[in-house]
Amino acid sequence: MMEDPVHLLVITAVVAMATFATRALPFVFFNTRAPPEILSTIEKNLPPMILLLLVIYCLKDVQWLQVPYGIPEIFTIAAVMGLHLWKRNAMLSIFAGTGLYMLLVQLDVFSVLFG
Amino acid sequence: MSQQSESLFKSALKTTLPVFLGYIPLGMAFGFLLEGAGYHWIYAPLMSIFIYAGAGQFIAVALLAAGAGLTEFAITTLLINLRHSFYGLSLLDKFSGVGKVKPYLIFALTDETYALLTTTKAPEEDSKGRFYFYIAVLDHSYWILGSVLGAVLGSVLDLRLEGMTFVLATLFVVLTIEQYHASRSRFPFMAAMGAGVISLMLFSPDNMLLFSIFIGTLILMAHERFVQDDLEIRSIADQDPDQEDIS
Repeated sequence: MMEDPVHLLVITAVVAMATFATRALPFVFFNTRAPPEILSTIEKNLPPMILLLLVIYCLKDVQWLQVPYGIPEIFTIAAVMGLHLWKRNAMLSIFAGTGLYMLLVQLDVFSVLFG
Repeated sequence: MSQQSESLFKSALKTTLPVFLGYIPLGMAFGFLLEGAGYHWIYAPLMSIFIYAGAGQFIAVALLAAGAGLTEFAITTLLINLRHSFYGLSLLDKFSGVGKVKPYLIFALTDETYALLTTTKAPEEDSKGRFYFYIAVLDHSYWILGSVLGAVLGSVLDLRLEGMTFVLATLFVVLTIEQYHASRSRFPFMAAMGAGVISLMLFSPDNMLLFSIFIGTLILMAHERFVQDDLEIRSIADQDPDQEDIS
């Protein structure tokens, strides 16, 4: 592919500005005017909702109808939830969970079980 | 001052460690992809410094390969990153009083940084701005470092990293549980389950996050309208302000 530095720099600038615009929009919009009532009441409910949606978003590429049917992901999330509700140690839950998941997918544990 | 600042930095380092483990392989994948598309490695850190958006940068590479026009780049990026507008909505309060780092905090508001900033408490209220800044700048530097590594040595390295980016999923799970303990209302979690599962089934992987946040916010607003009215009537009826609706 032919490389055109100017073209790529322009594109980088456009994508950077568009990204920044989405992040700055609410701050610019509510800089001078007061946010509507409804917003201040849902403001504290947005973070918990968005965090759970980010968990679900991490499952977006799972193929539920093919071996291993998303079991490594669900199994790991359940294990992290159990461990974290039990020990309440964030680092332990995160690293044990990630280690478990890497083992499950690299050794292909559940495909072996189903095969 | 420097000692306090140092411990604040160490605390931010510890907080961002899971993001480090996630951004390195993810950034590497981006750098590798860009280099593989025929671009000089220097563009990988350049894009990671100035754009700093995971999904946005991956899609930019795809659009580059497809020879898309500038308008396409702009519109696709706006749509992919529109979810960030919702993040800002819930940070208006939190970011007032962080001082001159505010523009950078807004610029660096990725999914992961948002998750950390909304769940982690600064050790002291007056050092809030600096603590947030450390978290944001550390996450940003991991992303840049990952993309350089991927572009320069992506093809040479063969690390057993498969599955490592799932560290971000486990981070989100842990932060969700922390939010669950801190939040009085259970409704946001029910709204997220509903909106998330529906979006997972109906929308493509690229679109589902924006749509799920949009649907979830509508559910929250509808709930607020109806249940709030309900609460007001009830609290007038039985004069019991301690009664919280946690449904």
